[in-house]
Amino acid sequence: MHPSNFAHWSLSTARDLTLEAARDASNARKSSTRMLPSGQLKKLLDSRSERDVLEGLRRVVTMSYRQPPSQTLPFFSHVIKNIASPSLPIKKLVYIYLLQHAEHEPDTALLSINTIQKSLTDSNPQLRALALRVMSGIRVPVISQIVSLAIKRGVGDMSPYVRRAAALAIPKCYRLDPSTEPQLLEYLSTLLGDKQYFVTGAAVAAFLEVCPNRLDLIHPHYRSLIRKLVDMDEWGQLATLRLMMSYSRKCFPRRTKKIKKTTTNPNPNARSKGTKGFYDTESESEESEDQEMEDLVVLDPDLELLLKACQSLLQSRNSAVVIAVARTYLYLGTPDYLSLAIGPLISLLRSPGDVQHIALYNIVQVCLSHPEPFVKYYTHFLVRSTDSPHIWRLKLELLTLIFPHAPPRLQSLILAELSHFSHSGSLDPGLVKEAVRAIGRCSQTTNPKTSARCLRLLLAHIGSADMHLVAESLEVIRHLIQRDPENHRTTVVRLAKHLDAATSPQARASIVWLVGEFAGLDPENNIAADVLRILVKGFADEAEPAKLQIVLLAAKVYVHHLNANPPPEPVRAPSPKPSPSLLENYEEQGGFRDTHLDSVSPPQPTPSQTQDKPHPIEALWNYIILLTRYDTSYDLRDRARVYKALLSTPTSTQLASLLLLAPKPVPQTPSPSETRKGYALGSASLVIGDEGGVGGLKGYEDLPPWVKEGHEPDPALREEGASGAASTYEAAKSLSAAERLDAASRAAPPERTVSPGRSLDGLGSGSGAGEAKEKEKTLDEWLAEEEESEDETDEEKETEEEEESSEYETESEDEGEGDRLVK
Amino acid sequence: MSAIEALYIFDEHNTPLLEHTYTGRPPPGSTVLPLYLSHPSPRPSLIYLPNTNPATLLYSIIQDQLLFLCPCSSDTEPLQVLEFLHRVADALEDFLGSPLLASRIESNYDVVAQLLSEMVDGGVISCTEPNALKDVVEAPSFMKNLLGGVGLPSTTPSSLTPGATPFSLGSGRSPRLGPSGNTQGTSPVPWRKANVRHTSNELYVDIVETLQVTLSPSGRPLSAIANGTIAFTAKVSGVPDLLLQLGCPGGISNSVSLPVFHPCVRLNRWKERPSELSFVPPDGRFVLAGYEVDLLGPAALDSFSTSTTAKSAPKLNIPATVSVQPSLGPTGSDFEVRLQLNPRFAGKSSSPLPSATGSSFPGRGGLGRGLGGHPQGTTAAPSIEEMVVHIPLPASVKNVMDLRVVRGAGDAGYAPGDRSIEWRISSREVGMLISNDRGGGIGATATLRGTVIGQDEDEGLEGGAVSLSSNTYDYDDDQTSSYQSPSEAPSKTKDEGSDARKVKQNKVLMPSCATVSFSVKGWLPSGIKVESLTVDQKRSKGLGAGITPYKGVKYVCVSRNGVESRC
Repeated sequence: MHPSNFAHWSLSTARDLTLEAARDASNARKSSTRMLPSGQLKKLLDSRSERDVLEGLRRVVTMSYRQPPSQTLPFFSHVIKNIASPSLPIKKLVYIYLLQHAEHEPDTALLSINTIQKSLTDSNPQLRALALRVMSGIRVPVISQIVSLAIKRGVGDMSPYVRRAAALAIPKCYRLDPSTEPQLLEYLSTLLGDKQYFVTGAAVAAFLEVCPNRLDLIHPHYRSLIRKLVDMDEWGQLATLRLMMSYSRKCFPRRTKKIKKTTTNPNPNARSKGTKGFYDTESESEESEDQEMEDLVVLDPDLELLLKACQSLLQSRNSAVVIAVARTYLYLGTPDYLSLAIGPLISLLRSPGDVQHIALYNIVQVCLSHPEPFVKYYTHFLVRSTDSPHIWRLKLELLTLIFPHAPPRLQSLILAELSHFSHSGSLDPGLVKEAVRAIGRCSQTTNPKTSARCLRLLLAHIGSADMHLVAESLEVIRHLIQRDPENHRTTVVRLAKHLDAATSPQARASIVWLVGEFAGLDPENNIAADVLRILVKGFADEAEPAKLQIVLLAAKVYVHHLNANPPPEPVRAPSPKPSPSLLENYEEQGGFRDTHLDSVSPPQPTPSQTQDKPHPIEALWNYIILLTRYDTSYDLRDRARVYKALLSTPTSTQLASLLLLAPKPVPQTPSPSETRKGYALGSASLVIGDEGGVGGLKGYEDLPPWVKEGHEPDPALREEGASGAASTYEAAKSLSAAERLDAASRAAPPERTVSPGRSLDGLGSGSGAGEAKEKEKTLDEWLAEEEESEDETDEEKETEEEEESSEYETESEDEGEGDRLVK
Repeated sequence: MSAIEALYIFDEHNTPLLEHTYTGRPPPGSTVLPLYLSHPSPRPSLIYLPNTNPATLLYSIIQDQLLFLCPCSSDTEPLQVLEFLHRVADALEDFLGSPLLASRIESNYDVVAQLLSEMVDGGVISCTEPNALKDVVEAPSFMKNLLGGVGLPSTTPSSLTPGATPFSLGSGRSPRLGPSGNTQGTSPVPWRKANVRHTSNELYVDIVETLQVTLSPSGRPLSAIANGTIAFTAKVSGVPDLLLQLGCPGGISNSVSLPVFHPCVRLNRWKERPSELSFVPPDGRFVLAGYEVDLLGPAALDSFSTSTTAKSAPKLNIPATVSVQPSLGPTGSDFEVRLQLNPRFAGKSSSPLPSATGSSFPGRGGLGRGLGGHPQGTTAAPSIEEMVVHIPLPASVKNVMDLRVVRGAGDAGYAPGDRSIEWRISSREVGMLISNDRGGGIGATATLRGTVIGQDEDEGLEGGAVSLSSNTYDYDDDQTSSYQSPSEAPSKTKDEGSDARKVKQNKVLMPSCATVSFSVKGWLPSGIKVESLTVDQKRSKGLGAGITPYKGVKYVCVSRNGVESRC
């Protein structure tokens, strides 16, 4: 039994129960950290022996993971006392505890701030970084200004680790108190210009969290960011690529050379091929380029810099990075660049199932707009018996997507593959269904010969014993026929023949419906009436769905018959079947119209007229109506009554033809992922689809449109920041990563003094910065009191000694209390 | 925007092990878990839960039977989160030992807590490199526990030296760094731990290739891909600079495609000479590279349909293939599975004399001066191990009767209600099979036969039976004969007497494929070899002069249901 099971019991007995539960748990799992009674634990925490304290902390941390916070909160003050311990392991555990519990006891947590601040000036960079991280992680809004100040110190630190911690603290501080934004932006712009790829990655991540739209901060660092892209860690690369996505769209207008004069002809072809891109403007230009093999898209040199830098990331072991590069190429680059990314995308299929699944969604998304380059990787899309449903579904879709672009041999291979899964894949009915649909999609897109081949495959399934297969095949066949009825006359005949074989009522019903639908197609040589004749014989034995369709077929055949051979005159009113007297009136009216019709199409002398007995079709109709009248199904009887009323007057068929022979809309079966086409590559919305709400999940951001020519920011803005960095970079280029790190850390102090000033230039954040400075002064002074030992020079020191705020008073009190406690 | 809001870990019984919240107020694990479990299995790695507050995207991975969940309240890059979860699992494994067990996490919550808080900072993934983590988090060690237990001074620094921070155990790093110069607490190479010391310097290269072969019913390979992974274990002091040279019969650049590299590999070097991997390795075990080899070559598609005879099909040299013959017997309810073993892989397992087993690294071929013993498979005589044939069955199959190994050896197991038959053949039996059959030269075969029984015989007769009239296709005048399918043609099932109906019915019950799993040591389907592994003495630092590390190479070929034959 797990201790948390007791959590909801009354609080008063909770402690006793904990002990019991602890014994329980330790018995179950032989855990080495058995829980102690709280008194003993407190004693451990209060102990003078470092080892005891560490042991106590371990136990508390263990408890905090296994029990609700109410269990570990009583130790708060005992734990916090140890925060001043010189031992690093103890400190770390205290910090972890503090981060977890600070929110529950904000007042006590504040006591620790003082000590943490002292650690900010420790000589050990690890400790400084740790302190900064913890301080910013305490979710007590009162301290936002102190945190902001700590970040400021961190930004100027010599160690890149501390600077990185400062970068990561910025969003936390922002969340704590959004009003600190102006100061934070100032720090951020310094950090974005950091020489360390290590730091800039984190800075970019922070930028995206705090102010993703302040692209003006990026301009001066754009080029240096791009240069550092390769060296950043994977997560930094991801953040940078995400940033560059929107940055490039907003800063580099899409320029195309207008030399399409000679190539106007292939262009419409390209568009009608159905390979529409995500953005129309983009795909047009890309397609036309595809056609002419000419560089029509003129890339901005700075954009090209980005695209080239991405290239080496394609070999990344991180699948997210590969997708991010593919996204960059798809939405920013040209097809040439995109083709570089295809192979790496395919290589993601080697990864474990979960990654593979998401990767497939992205591959499908790219494939929807650019199917050609995927053709040669077809072997990766073959479905394996071990694939789970969500994987084979996407693989089948990929096979159909590349189908139209595949060479004939590959096409037959794909069809063979699909038909294999459709008829012998009864392992999973879903797979059968999907495979049959895939065959249907294949037949849509290609030339008539392949289409016929697909149809043959499907027709072969009708006789199968597998119900799913038959039903699905007929569904797809119906779609095919409806799309092109003229060429499928023989198909209908063939289907009708299958009526002898098909036993499933659904299958029979859909065949009958199809026959009825095409009953009027070729009046001289139509089988509908014949089919009806045969079906009527066994009408009583049919299942209800089939019966419904047979009655409908009869009605259609009869309407066609009446339309083709209208009764010559309304005078010949007493029709062979007894009709209710009410309808006689309509007959008169209808008769008028009928004569009008007669003048249009000359009446043909029907054999039935001359003979005494009615025409066979008429007889069939009457027979069916008679049969259905005594059927057990309400539905069937009702429908039959409707049809009967509609067709009661042979001379007036307009209403009946309107209802029965209405042209049916041609069904479209797009690729299943078409619905997700609007979502950006690499987003979660792409995977979830419209389930997450129209327009994507919360937080989904569509790609910004390309900036219009003339509205983009001045390219010279990018010039400025890069010039300095470039030269140092050139020099450092040949050095190893290690040497570069050394060099950069040596260079860091001077940079600190220079960069804030530089980055403020022309950024329009002057007012915010000024405000920030004013606020800083008071706090700076406050901080300076305890940081006398600090060896680093602080610029703001001279401007101290301003007015003292009341905040200062309270905090100094806290500080004193903290000292007492620490002691 | 924050990628990682929380991390929940559950053990194999879905008992919560750990809940770590990073940022925001994600729904707690107790809310999320039932929603996750309510999804039908197999569960996708990304599930959208619209009914939680806030609506949550739930990412999940399962490693070593532990379930890792990560909720996200807004749109994030799914692969970023999944990769992160994998890294967490890897890091935990690295620190706590493999395999990752629930009890290991439970007894080391303090280490886990430190790791988790290092890896994510305020929702932003910050550091996932195992070596960098080792610099800041102390791995639990038995030695320390022991010392702590007896009351001896442990590695915990005393209060007298506040600056001393032994981040990495046993590494005698200088506690204080100069006030100017290099003030970084950790290594200059981001992926390598600082000040690595090893008493015995060792380098191991393990190349593992996973086979993915699909065979058509006629036995012709449709696709044959070997997914390779180069796992590297570096236990070398200082900062070594290594050069690994690979070789392959057809040339590396021709065979290896779509490579993926650890960030330590110098990409430019690979591009210039695509058989050389130059890198400064992280300490410990890591995946150096991944690649894939198409065993059929680019001409595979051409041979696919220009020839209908199996003779000209591309030759595939794999240890074992399988074929299934369905619809046998008078009522078509029998099937036969035939396993074909390649005689090359007899190995030495059947020989009475075991080779020297002095080395502690079995299965490693020696390279350089080190020569390990090879009790199992070697490059000279690779042997097949862990041979299992899986035959998945349709859901409608109720039972399999008369399941027996007609020829050869092994145990075939099936219990009523199972969705697959498992046929295990031990490596000894494989060896015997091959040695018995050696005279034939075409390799050994083993055969399994069985009879399937469907859901309900009677009901099937009435409702499901359908027969095709033989003149079905006559009407079609536009039918061309160009279509050649490797799968069985529908006309094959034309009626032949009264049993045809039954055959047709039973066809639905037939297995549609069979897969083989095995592992072979000392052989790679791609033929890739490690030509040399050298330490660049000039560029390396910290490795004593004249020290040549022990080097070992291991080749393993694995198939996890990887050879699949259709029927």
